[in-house]
Amino acid sequence: MNLYASKDDLIRWLDSLLKEHIVIAPVEIQGQTMFQPISKAESCQLSAISNTVLSPKGWFLPPTETLFSVKRDDGHVELVPTQVEQDAVLFGLHPCDARGIALMDKPFLQEPSDALYRERRSRTALIGLACRQAQPECFCTSMGSAPDDSSNVDIMLTEVEDGYIVQAITDKGKTLLPKGLKEYKGKVPAPPKLQTIPTKEVVSAIKGLFNDPYWEKLADRCLHCNICAYVCPTCYCFDIRDYADKEKIERVRSWESCQSRGFSLTAGGYDPRATKGERLRQRFCHKLLYFPEEFEDVACVGCGRCVRDCPVNIDIREVINSLKQVTEAKSGS
Amino acid sequence: MGLDNPFVPYIATLKASTQLTPDIKLLSVELEDPDSRANFDYKPGQFALLSAFGEGEAPFGIVSLPQQENGLEFAVRRIGTVTRALQELEPGNTLGVRGPFGNYFPLEDYEGKNIIIIGGGIGMAPLRPVINKILERRNNYEDLLIINGARTPQDLVFQPEFPTWIKAPRVKLELTVDRGDEHWKGRVALVPDVVKELAPSADNAIAIICGPPIMIRFTLARLRDLGFKDNQIVTTLEAKMKCGLGKCARCNIGEKYVCQDGPVFTLEQIAQFLEQP
Repeated sequence: MNLYASKDDLIRWLDSLLKEHIVIAPVEIQGQTMFQPISKAESCQLSAISNTVLSPKGWFLPPTETLFSVKRDDGHVELVPTQVEQDAVLFGLHPCDARGIALMDKPFLQEPSDALYRERRSRTALIGLACRQAQPECFCTSMGSAPDDSSNVDIMLTEVEDGYIVQAITDKGKTLLPKGLKEYKGKVPAPPKLQTIPTKEVVSAIKGLFNDPYWEKLADRCLHCNICAYVCPTCYCFDIRDYADKEKIERVRSWESCQSRGFSLTAGGYDPRATKGERLRQRFCHKLLYFPEEFEDVACVGCGRCVRDCPVNIDIREVINSLKQVTEAKSGS
Repeated sequence: MGLDNPFVPYIATLKASTQLTPDIKLLSVELEDPDSRANFDYKPGQFALLSAFGEGEAPFGIVSLPQQENGLEFAVRRIGTVTRALQELEPGNTLGVRGPFGNYFPLEDYEGKNIIIIGGGIGMAPLRPVINKILERRNNYEDLLIINGARTPQDLVFQPEFPTWIKAPRVKLELTVDRGDEHWKGRVALVPDVVKELAPSADNAIAIICGPPIMIRFTLARLRDLGFKDNQIVTTLEAKMKCGLGKCARCNIGEKYVCQDGPVFTLEQIAQFLEQP
């Protein structure tokens, strides 16, 4: 059943959620919309049309986190793993970002599952917000999602005049629904139409192009700034290092990107991906070939953030189209 | 390594640290918890991640065989910060162990075959348990040819074990170095050239290779010249690695994860992803 919440109902609901949960919601900071833990309902900013600067993946895989700390006591060593203490609600995420989380689940929940990710994931409810408008860089419908896709959230919200349609999608969602909402009997607005790119064909096309000069040519202008990986909802490469000072030793995990120089450089000096072309090939092959071969889905949700933010306009939509053309040219000759 | 958190290593104690070459030490390690120790089962080719707490973690092939009296052994070459810290540990010091990870050499499948083992430098490390396993079940295999190369004579890693190896029936050990010294009377040649010179037959044979990438690359070519098919050539790959769990996405070689799908691969599986000679 579709329920209706006025904007005031929504504020009251958020306030009640805040009593027992950490609530992570879009917040406007100096003109940029970011997902942040909020302390009061009014901070939540649901009206922004474009996607947040970063995807909300950081709630589950933080940019930096301590995996465990090392306690030394009289020569004896004890390792103290980080624990996840509190339930959370990730509020107002778009369908593309919800799908991003569903895709991250695949490697991180695969056995042996990633303990911190698994705990945060099981203790966090997802409350999605349908997109009423699309941005020029959006292409979620080509990547298995849609502006009104509710399949990866616990509760779905759709903005209508003066309020929101509220749908509980999962049992977890039902338990979080606010009391006393009335049924919504109006029409559910139609989702915006989006551009289409030939994703399906490319997964097989890219197989034959591992040693193609296309990659070096494409990477020529790459600055390996890594912004594509940082803003991406499905990029999950990480680094692990030890940090030590007089007081403590910690093993810390942080985001990394396969575009970094030295990402795959061994201590002995060998680097299987020493050139920019090899690294950019890794990025697109991981998303469009390796991930689908392992987990069936393409590791891109069409949120358009990398398209929006790449300083040299390396555009995954163009890459997909070019790979198709290169393959067609090859098979034609 | 708790079942619950695969990033938390087993606490272990360094039992002994033996200098094998000027830059390689053999570390004998014992897990602190008796149950974990009893359950730590592994096969030749598998690896573990060793932690020097405060410096970090790095992957190493396990060079011992299970149930061996010296316990878990690793050959660590001093090459970066973690390996330096591991080499500086003294017996009694604490380190971390995560593993065993990865696949292994399917040695049962090689029974009844001639085995050619080709190792360069520290690349002999993961091959040592292969040799010892074959020697343990010597009658199940045909001829064993070991070609071992190193930069200089003193860089040949497992020299104290050579006499034991060649005492076994139908074993040939061929040594070669890049640069000899005043005592060296053996070969001064590159491994691929020795392979060419000795020309082992590809008939009913399996070649197992590990060494620096450049050695692997040219040795593969020589083996192919000798008629070895890509499914008769097996290698174990080194890769930068952080998690060992197929998650950090660092050790991809093409679509394979070295930590999960490897480190042992037939050339058939990875030829496309190696640089062509």
